Amino acid sequence: MITMRAINKGYMLGEEKLPILKDVDFSVEKGEYVAILGPSGSGKTTLMNIIGCMDVMDSGEYYLDGMAIHETDEEELTEVRNSKIGFIFQNYQLISTYNVMQNIIMPLLMRGMNHKDAQEQCMNTIKLLGLDHRIEHKPNELSGGQKQRVSIARALVGRPAILLADEPTGALDQNSGKEVLKLFQELNEMGNTIVMITHDLGVAQSAKRIVRIVDGRLFES
Amino acid sequence: MRLSEILRLVWLNLSQNKFKVILTSIGIVVGSATIMMVLAIGTGGREEVAEQFKNLNAGAIDITYEGGASSQTFGASFSTGEGNVSFFAPAGAGDGDFGGSGGPGGFGGRGFEGGAAMGELFGSGDGRINQENITLTSEDCEDLSVFVPGISDATISYSTNVSVEGGAMDSEAYYTIAGVEDNYAQISNLEMAIGDFLTEENNESKEKLCVLGATAAKEIFGSAYEAYDGVIYIDDRPYTVSGVLTEMGTVASGINPDTTIFIPYETGIKYITGDQISPTITVIAEDVNQVNEVIANVETVLADIYPDAQFTISDAGSKMEAASASNDTLTLLLISMAVIVFVVGGIGIMNVLFVSVKERTNEIGILKALGCSRKDILLEFLLEASCISLIGAVLGVMFALGITPVVETFSVRVSLSVSGAVLSLLFGVLTGSIFGFYPAYKASRLIPVVALNQE
Repeated sequence: MITMRAINKGYMLGEEKLPILKDVDFSVEKGEYVAILGPSGSGKTTLMNIIGCMDVMDSGEYYLDGMAIHETDEEELTEVRNSKIGFIFQNYQLISTYNVMQNIIMPLLMRGMNHKDAQEQCMNTIKLLGLDHRIEHKPNELSGGQKQRVSIARALVGRPAILLADEPTGALDQNSGKEVLKLFQELNEMGNTIVMITHDLGVAQSAKRIVRIVDGRLFES
Repeated sequence: MRLSEILRLVWLNLSQNKFKVILTSIGIVVGSATIMMVLAIGTGGREEVAEQFKNLNAGAIDITYEGGASSQTFGASFSTGEGNVSFFAPAGAGDGDFGGSGGPGGFGGRGFEGGAAMGELFGSGDGRINQENITLTSEDCEDLSVFVPGISDATISYSTNVSVEGGAMDSEAYYTIAGVEDNYAQISNLEMAIGDFLTEENNESKEKLCVLGATAAKEIFGSAYEAYDGVIYIDDRPYTVSGVLTEMGTVASGINPDTTIFIPYETGIKYITGDQISPTITVIAEDVNQVNEVIANVETVLADIYPDAQFTISDAGSKMEAASASNDTLTLLLISMAVIVFVVGGIGIMNVLFVSVKERTNEIGILKALGCSRKDILLEFLLEASCISLIGAVLGVMFALGITPVVETFSVRVSLSVSGAVLSLLFGVLTGSIFGFYPAYKASRLIPVVALNQE
């Protein structure tokens, strides 16, 4: 599903380039549930951005679902983000002016689907996540746990190749966090491939496989 | 993304920021209203010109002499005359051709078309100014009729401003008094509502009779019917109303017949003006295509009679062209003003959209993370700008419709049209779209990961 070889990425800091990822090799098989565990500043967010096709690597090769991402242009990357990746963010990243339904169906609308068909297609996901009585609500009318479920629903509706979660429980209380992790396990059991990034070992332990990132280098646990 | 879905999102965003939309669109509201009003006033002006000249004889040629102090006296009285006469003042003044309108019946001079022509008319090309005190006479008029080929008719007239009393008026009022011959009505296409026009006999006998213009009759007596056979006092002498004209709305030989009181030519000289007049001779060319030849022949004949004088000669066609050109210039000026308003309005929209892009950077980041293409983001922001402009343009058109009655109370003719409204809408939307493009482009080029992390 994901194959990364010798990935390097750095950012310019004045005149000098600060290396963030150093010769990272990483792979994920279909149906896996992997946690990338690392402290703040270790490069895990940069890695997630590259896996999520939101940033480009300086060197290396990256294949996602058979597609050579390192050879694609911005237009193709946009399509990849829409069709192959489902993002789940720490701070939910919901559009505040849209209601729950409007937020969830956005990835489908971007594929050219009409409003009505998109709503029909996402109803099962909405029910699965227990949001069917909240579809008219705006994000500011929801609890943190509910917001994260909306974010997960939005990531799932497009049936992506992988779910990419960045600190999904970081902004939640303990109970809500546990609920989300339980949901991830269920989604994984249903066949979804999940890559989760976290700095919390307790959260990482809910995954089937843990990969540590330290100072821009990956180590299998 | 489908266009319908992008439009749905645009609607969603705009409907949740109604107040901002209205404030943003104010520049376009003013711009659209200005464009619509400018076009309507321009069209109204053209219609007014057309209406004023509709009964004018296309072959009419006016001849006046601008000499010493006497003509200036009459020029002043003429310019303080009735509304439509004053219409010519700006055009004449603009062309530096005041001399033409100085004559009581003059069109304003053949030099109406431009300053260059003025020299030709006044003979000022060699710096000469008429020094002789010449007064055109009925004999000159007859000479022209006899010696100039291609003339179907000729008449002489003058006008002045004199106090009038009587009728239903409580106090005296000043009216344009035109001393005319019997054929003036035919030459100027005047029509009688009641009674008869002045006759040759009236003129020869210097009878104290008058014919009232439609507006003058209404003002003095209340109606044409009551005016007929009534008596008015012109310069303290009683004149019997022998007839009333129908409403003409036409300026002939510099005289607006609606507001003028016509008296026999000789009567006016005897009782009102004395010899201190500056008359206009009007000749009618048989063939409107031969007007220039007739003018040349008129100049030749007059040069024989008055070798050292330079006459102002104007024809109706030139006058119409000059009036239209003057109106077009005014319209162009107003359109330029409207364009400036649009540019200012457009810059306003651009500023607000830049702020909007800044405010919504995180939202753009989310959309990009979810796979929204650059094209879709560009289109969404551009359509938002266009919709704000459309709303502004519609409000502008409505504002123009609403303000029209107010403008009309200032005697400005406003001729609203569907094409004017469509053009205003088009200009409004175009302005918003052009100025909205750059902020929309900037939004579409945001880097997803940077935009997403923007607070």
